[in-house]
Amino acid sequence: MTATTWRRESQVLWRGWDRFDYIMLLAAIGLVVLGLLLINSGSQEEYEGPLVSFANPVMKQMVFAFIGIVGMFIVSRIDYHYFIHYAWPLYAIGIVSLIGILLIGDAAYGSRRWFDLGPVQVQPSEFAKIATVLALATFFSNHGGDARDLRTLALSLAIVIPPAFLIFVEPDLGTAIVFMCIWLGVVLVAGVSRSHLVVMGAVGLALLPFVWTFAIADYQIERVSVLIDSTSEGRALDEGYNVNQSKIAVGSGGLIGPGLGEGKQTQLGYLRVPTKDFIFSVLGEELGFVGCMGLFALFILLLMRGIRAAQIAGDTAGQLVAVGIVVLILMQAFINIAVNLSLFPVTGIPLPFVSQGGSSLVSLFFSLGLLQSIIMRHRAYRQT
Amino acid sequence: MSLLDGGFRPGGTSRNRPHGHLGVLKIAVIALFAILTLRLVDMQIVDGEGYRQRSVNNHIAQTNILPPRGLMVDRNGVPLVENVPVYSVQVIPDLLPEGEATRYAIYLALARPEMTEVPALQIQEMVRAAIEDGRGDQPLTIRKYLSKDQALTIEEASVDMPGVSLAIEPGRRYIGGEAFSHIVGYIGDMTPEDWEQLQDEGYLLNEPIGISGLEARYESDLRGTVGVSANEQDAHGALIEILETKDAEPGSTLKLAIDANLQNFVAELLQDSLIDATGDAKVAAAVVMDVNTGELLSMVTIPTYDNNIFVNPSDENTAAIERLNNDSRKPFLNWAINPAAPGSTFKLVTASAALQEGIITPETGQFAPKVLSVKGENDELYPLVDWKDHGYINLYDGIAWSSNIYMFRSSCGILGETRGLSNKSGATYDDAVILGNYAREFGFDELTGIDIGGENPGLIPSPEWKKRAIGEDWFYADTCFMGIGQGDVLATPLQIARMTAAVANGGTLVTPHIVNEILSPSGSLVHRIETSTKKVDVDPEHLAVVREGMHRSVIYGAGLRAGVPGLDIAGKTGTAEFKDYDAGGITRQHAWFTGYYPFDNPQIVVTVYFDLGVGGDKAAPAAAKIFDYYAENIAP
Repeated sequence: MTATTWRRESQVLWRGWDRFDYIMLLAAIGLVVLGLLLINSGSQEEYEGPLVSFANPVMKQMVFAFIGIVGMFIVSRIDYHYFIHYAWPLYAIGIVSLIGILLIGDAAYGSRRWFDLGPVQVQPSEFAKIATVLALATFFSNHGGDARDLRTLALSLAIVIPPAFLIFVEPDLGTAIVFMCIWLGVVLVAGVSRSHLVVMGAVGLALLPFVWTFAIADYQIERVSVLIDSTSEGRALDEGYNVNQSKIAVGSGGLIGPGLGEGKQTQLGYLRVPTKDFIFSVLGEELGFVGCMGLFALFILLLMRGIRAAQIAGDTAGQLVAVGIVVLILMQAFINIAVNLSLFPVTGIPLPFVSQGGSSLVSLFFSLGLLQSIIMRHRAYRQT
Repeated sequence: MSLLDGGFRPGGTSRNRPHGHLGVLKIAVIALFAILTLRLVDMQIVDGEGYRQRSVNNHIAQTNILPPRGLMVDRNGVPLVENVPVYSVQVIPDLLPEGEATRYAIYLALARPEMTEVPALQIQEMVRAAIEDGRGDQPLTIRKYLSKDQALTIEEASVDMPGVSLAIEPGRRYIGGEAFSHIVGYIGDMTPEDWEQLQDEGYLLNEPIGISGLEARYESDLRGTVGVSANEQDAHGALIEILETKDAEPGSTLKLAIDANLQNFVAELLQDSLIDATGDAKVAAAVVMDVNTGELLSMVTIPTYDNNIFVNPSDENTAAIERLNNDSRKPFLNWAINPAAPGSTFKLVTASAALQEGIITPETGQFAPKVLSVKGENDELYPLVDWKDHGYINLYDGIAWSSNIYMFRSSCGILGETRGLSNKSGATYDDAVILGNYAREFGFDELTGIDIGGENPGLIPSPEWKKRAIGEDWFYADTCFMGIGQGDVLATPLQIARMTAAVANGGTLVTPHIVNEILSPSGSLVHRIETSTKKVDVDPEHLAVVREGMHRSVIYGAGLRAGVPGLDIAGKTGTAEFKDYDAGGITRQHAWFTGYYPFDNPQIVVTVYFDLGVGGDKAAPAAAKIFDYYAENIAP
């Protein structure tokens, strides 16, 4: 290998890295670090093993974060058009895996969401989210990036409905809502006609009672009604228990909280799943309002950088992928925190980058890789 | 390499220029986080203190420690009650294992005779009802008053029965014997009405309270102070840290004026004296009281019962309570503080009144045959009847022989011959009112103020009362009957004893009391019960005359059989006629005796009452035995 080819090869290898969005990565790493601190705090009651062990949830999360970050770098090196190109096969795999989970998945808390692969559990819905984002972007990209046409709009809905429905019957109401929001975000950016949106919104509202009656499982109604009346006696120890305890945890944090490892709700086991769905309550209790604002700042920073990626994306496909990923992260964060604040029924959505969970973390970093890929390539296309 | 260098050029139409507006997305991000921030401000800043308190309530478990209840001892320190543990089995429904089948297995285990004997179905129903009422997190008492063996079995078995626990609450055993039942009273569970009232005073729902007798009256002294232990515990109820403990303080001990031996002696004596030739008495009562201090050395009512039946409600005991409730002798009534016609014992009041009003002197003579006919209001002839022909007698013998006609002379007057108490002729209303006022001076027609409940004030009639209560006019004869403690006069043995004490001590009406001292758990004096007194508006010299009449009664008069050789006793018998409606309305007699000892330096008053009998033949001999016992065993 000559010096020239080496230089050219290294130029090829490093091309685009000057445009890599380190701020976005730092925001994500900030969230992960905060998450590690909270997982450590939230797992003290349960975990008593050695510090360095794969059984330690903190170590486990660090390993997944490392895998995720490495994956992110790899994905950002890959032109996102590869994923666009294979969007439909990926989408098909996503659907098949979602069907598969209904047939042979492992159940927890009354719902089937996992494939158990020895030491790790894989959540196909995480994969399906990205596949659906890619499929939507590809679809609109192929239709001139335009959602003004009613037929196009209806077809795009037909892309989102199957995975959303399959997840809904797992049952996982929250993730199904996230899917619908992704679709909504994408079509808004793709220029949906307002009258179409209004009509579809009206149809959706009209269908809601039927969905409520026929499709929503009892446990979901229970969760919704618990939210409305979480302190009524008798229920307080069942579904309302989590809602109640998370409210108490967050509220008792006050302005700055007693500090990590000092929250009574967390440390004495009153808060359930304090490293996963209710990790925000640990933050609220132990670091108070100030800690929560720090988390919000990191999320807003991350999401704004994601929106920036959409803004500078070289083409419609890239822009819509970026939009889909932003909405994906935004809605998951919003719903998770809203659950913790008793604004939304308990759904089992993790807090992106923060909650303990490998599938979610790895797939989130994979999504960031996609965003980085879009950012790194924007100028290349404008130059072409 | 080409995969990584961005040189890949996909085909298709995807390379059109993006044209979307991303402002809406930025707005969405800001808006959604703004919603969350607002909610956080509300929860953490505005309501933070409330949530912090709820968090504290969550993990700080306060346990109340019930104090040992105060004890009771007699005047010599003989214990009358003891504290015993009451074992009960409790279930906290929320802590029972999941699954009705698993739960039912626990109910079945509990139903076994060596545990509770409560049917499994009944337990299931209790648990279900508790959960429905939203009391699933509260201990539910399945059965109280378990035997010690049952308690031990449950204690051991509860390890394998989550949600089931053995609770130990303070209970009572009354060891003074049946003679003390009416005095000591008993404790029991609160009624919902009690709870309404007592929860403001810091009472706990499972705390027993005094229901009757001294247990009820001295509740605040006996209760003690509830202790608290505060622990930090985790969500599974495991103890993390002991935060603070305030020990329960035992209640005060009551030291009674009652002499337990005397009390038991009197109870046995009355029981044995019920039946004799003068009538088969069904109920009896006696009071032995210090004439100066109002200390009750003994207060007995017959029949009695075992008050332990109230603090250990087994089926057997419930049946016993039912049986006693239906007993025509009303065993739960304390006859020492419930009234009957006092008969001739009331003549002490009449004589005092006549002397004080000056219508007689000790030497005033009166012809007292068996029947004395006088002309009444309508010129009809009234026969004034005495129990025997006394001949011509003065006041001393009038008292000593309990002459009715002498007492008519002293109250209503002998129509057409002498004037009554008002010293006005034809003023029988006024005579009655004056006599009534003297009766009240001596503590009749009002509560004595004894320190247990269930007291009846008795009755002193008046013309106005008769009009109102019976709807009839007051006649001359009514005043006459009143003067000999008949007619509508009703008095309790305790009132008679109190009046006798006032005569004996020269005119001081004392307030009787059962408890002498309230002692701290360590035995030091907290508070001494002093009698409150009132002066009777009769000159001491007149009372001395009455005492002399009582003295002669025991020496040679109607009260002869109250005498004990070597003891200088004074007293007054009473044989009160009443219509016995239980026996078909025939006229029968109550037997009374009231007296004091020693004559020249009175120490104690003894009042004895039988519902059927003759005072001099039945009550007086019983009183004699009490005086004898006192002089022999108690007198200083």
